[in-house]
Amino acid sequence: MGFLGEKDMFCCLPICSFRFTCSRSRGQIRFCSSSRPLSITTTSAPLFLRPLSHNTTSSHLQTFHAWAKSLAFSSNHPDPPHLIRELTWLLQDATSDPHTSFLQLGTTHPIWRVPLRVELKELYVLWKARVEERRPLQYIVGCEHWRDLILVVRDGVLIPRPETEMMVDFVKEIDGSESGLWADLGTGSGAIAVAIGKMLGEDGKVFAVDLSQTAVEVAEINVERYGLKDKVEVRHGSWFEPLEDVVGKLTGVVSNPPYIPSKHIPGLQVEVGKHEPQLALDGGEDGLHHLLHLCEGCLSVLKSGGFFGFETNGDEHSELIAGLMKTRWSGQFRDVKVIADFAGIKRFVTGFKM
Amino acid sequence: MVSFLSKASSLLLRSCQNPKPNRNIRRLLSILSSPTPSSSVASSHARRWIPRQGAAFREISRWREFCSREFCSSAAEESQAKNLDGMTVDDIVAKEWTVLEEDASDWKSHAAAIALSIQLVKKRMQWKKMLIRLDQLSMAVSKSDIWDDPVYAGRICREHGLLMGKMKEVNGFEQELLDHIDMLKLAREENDSDIELDCISSLIQIRRKLKEKELEALLSGNNDSYSCYIEVQAGAGGTESMDWASMIMNMYKSWGERRGYIVTVVDEMPGEIAGIKRATIKVDGKYAFGYAKAEIGVHRLVRISPFDSAKRRHTSFSAVAVIPILGDLSSRYKINDSDLRIERFRSGGAGGQHANTTDSAVRIVHIPTGITATCQNERSQHQNKASAMSVLQCRLDQLEMARQAQMNSEHTRSLTDISWGNQIRSYVLHPYQMVKDMRTNFEVSDPYSVLEGDIDCFILNFLSTSLEKDED
Repeated sequence: MGFLGEKDMFCCLPICSFRFTCSRSRGQIRFCSSSRPLSITTTSAPLFLRPLSHNTTSSHLQTFHAWAKSLAFSSNHPDPPHLIRELTWLLQDATSDPHTSFLQLGTTHPIWRVPLRVELKELYVLWKARVEERRPLQYIVGCEHWRDLILVVRDGVLIPRPETEMMVDFVKEIDGSESGLWADLGTGSGAIAVAIGKMLGEDGKVFAVDLSQTAVEVAEINVERYGLKDKVEVRHGSWFEPLEDVVGKLTGVVSNPPYIPSKHIPGLQVEVGKHEPQLALDGGEDGLHHLLHLCEGCLSVLKSGGFFGFETNGDEHSELIAGLMKTRWSGQFRDVKVIADFAGIKRFVTGFKM
Repeated sequence: MVSFLSKASSLLLRSCQNPKPNRNIRRLLSILSSPTPSSSVASSHARRWIPRQGAAFREISRWREFCSREFCSSAAEESQAKNLDGMTVDDIVAKEWTVLEEDASDWKSHAAAIALSIQLVKKRMQWKKMLIRLDQLSMAVSKSDIWDDPVYAGRICREHGLLMGKMKEVNGFEQELLDHIDMLKLAREENDSDIELDCISSLIQIRRKLKEKELEALLSGNNDSYSCYIEVQAGAGGTESMDWASMIMNMYKSWGERRGYIVTVVDEMPGEIAGIKRATIKVDGKYAFGYAKAEIGVHRLVRISPFDSAKRRHTSFSAVAVIPILGDLSSRYKINDSDLRIERFRSGGAGGQHANTTDSAVRIVHIPTGITATCQNERSQHQNKASAMSVLQCRLDQLEMARQAQMNSEHTRSLTDISWGNQIRSYVLHPYQMVKDMRTNFEVSDPYSVLEGDIDCFILNFLSTSLEKDED
C-alpha cells in the first residue's frame, strides 16, 4: 500500500473541522483558563499525505536546496549540519522520492519534472519558518517519525521525544503485556498508546487520555491511521477522571506528563519554548506536580501487580519519586526501578503495585 | 548435449539404413559412450531416435551413468575432457586458429573462440585454487564425524555443492565443444551439410553463452553476490580533503544508482565548511559487494583547491572500505546484548521535554572488541538504533572473516586497516586531466565522467587483472 492508500485513509477523517485552541493537553483543568488562540492556524494535512498535485524541475529544486543550505549555515542555529539533514527530510516528504535523487539530476537533467506535494514557493516559506522562526520541522511537515511509526502532529500537541520510545520497550518486556487494559495518560499525539496498541493481542486495550481537545483529535487520527480503533480508545479528560469505569482493573499505566519546573520554561530552546504547547511542558513550581498526582492515582486504578512507568525530568526527580515510593507509599509498590535513557540521564521510574 | 545427441542419432540412423556397413557407427557409439554428466537425458533422447539400436543404447546408458557417477566423485582429480582424436581444449587454443566475428561460418574460428573463453573463465574462477579447495572439502565431507557440528557441516556441504556445480558447468562446456568438433568431422566425412550447419549454429550459441560466463566469473567470490556498505574517510588536509571525500562518496552514490542498486546514507559526519569527514552508505542489490570490493584503498586527488585563496595545487586523499552484508545467517557473528553499550551520539543538555530535536543519532559500542557503529540519518531513534545495529553486525562479521582468514584478506580490510600509503587510484584535474588506476595502469582522460560514477571500466579491469594474475 503506497501513499495513495494512506492518503485515502486520511481523507476520511474530519481533519479540517477542528477548532484551533491551545487549551493545552494534559494537566489539570486550572491550566485551561490560561489558554489563548494560536496565531498560526493550519488546517491542511501533513505534507507526506498530500497529493502530488504540483510540480517543478530538478534544477529549480537544486536552486532551492542551495538557498536553503546557505540560509541554514548563515543562521544562528547551533547545529547547521543537522538542519541540512532536516532539509533532506523536508524534501523527502514534499516529493515522492525517498532518495532525493533529483538533486543530482539538477546538473545533468535540469528540466527533469519532479512532482511536488506543495508549490515550490511554499517550500521557501516553510524553510524560512524553520530556520528564522525556529519552528520545529515536525510541525512544518506535520509528522514525527517515532519508533517505527509516522505520527501526525500539529501545533498544540507535544512532539513526541526520542527518549520516550524506551517506554514502549519496558511495556514489551513485561510478561502478559499483550493482554489486559492499559492507560496512556496525557497521550498527546497518541504515540505511546499507538505503539502499545500495535503490540496487543485479541483481549488487550489501551485508553489514551488527554485533557486537550487538539490532542484528542490528533491522537484519534493516529489511531485511525494504524487501524487500531478497536485496540485504542481515546478519552477526553484530566488524568484518571475519564477512567472511573475501570478503577482497579488496569494492567498498566504509562505517562510522559509535563515535568519541566516553571522557572525553566522561559529559558527553553526556541523550538520548544516558542512553538510547543507550554502546558504540556510545565510541571509546576518544582516540576513534580503531575508526577506526584500520577503516583497517588495509579494506586487506585491499577489492579494488584499492575505496572507503572513514568518519564521524569531526569536524575533528581527519578531518585526522589523512587524514594517516596519507599517512604510515603511504603508497602504499596514493589520492584521500583530508575532507568537511564541513552544519554545516561536517569529518565524513567518503573515498578509494580503490590 | 541433447541437441548434440539428436544430431548424432540422426546421423547414426542414416548410417544404419545404409546397406553397407559403416565404420562411423562404431565411432559414434564410442562418442555416445564417452563419460559425460548429462548422460541419462542424452541416452533416453537417443533411444527415441534409433529404435533399432535400443538395446545397445540401454547398455550404453547404464555404462555412462556408472561413468558419470565415478566422474563426479573424483572430480577433484582434473580429468581433462578429450575428443576422439585425443584433442583437449588447451590443444585447440594451441592451434591458434584465427578468431573471426560471430557471423563467420568457419567452425574453427568458433571453436577457437570457445576454447579461449573457457580458458579465461577457468582463469578467472581460479581453477587451480578451486581444485585444491574441492579436494579439501571432499575430504572434510567424507569424514564420518562431520555432522557432530551441524552448523559447520552445513556450511562445508553447501560450499562443496556450490563448487561442484560451478566446475561441472565449465566441464560441460568443454565436453560440448569437443563433441561438436567430433560431430562436425563426421558430418563432413558423410557429406551431411544439414548437420554441419546445425553444429556450427550450436557452436555460435555456446560461444555467446561463454561470453556471459566470462563476466560472471569475475564475480565468483564467496561474498560477491551480497549487498554491501561503502565507507569513505577523508585524509589529513582539512576542508579540501573533506570535499574530496564527499566527491568520492557522490561518485559511489551515482555509480550505485546507475547500476540500479538502492543507495542509502547510513551515517555522515559533515565537515565544518564543506564536504564530509567520514560517511557510510548502504548499497543494496545483487553483486554490489563483488563490484565495490575493487574500490578498496586510498584515492588521490590533485587539483587547484577552490578553498585556497592563493589558488595553489593541492593533493588530497580519501580512504575507501567496503563491507559485505552477509546473507547467510549461520555464518554471522553472534552478538550478546550484554556486550553492547548504546548511547546518544550527541548527548549533553537536559533532553526529554527540554529539547526538540530531530537528531536522534545513536552509537552502539561492542564492548569486547571496541567496535562501534553510528547512525544518524534515520528519522527516529528506534530506526537509527536498528540501522547502527546492522552496521555493527557487518563490522563484526568482517572481523570474524578476517580472523578465520578463509578469504582473500585484500577484500576484508576495514577502514582502520587501510594504510594511507596504499594508493589505488589517482585523479588529476590539474595541470592535465586523467584518472589512472595504479594497480592495473588503466587510465581515462575524462575525470569528470568518472567522478559522476562512470567507474565500471576501472572495476572490471581491476577484477579481471587481479584474478588472472592470481591464477598465474
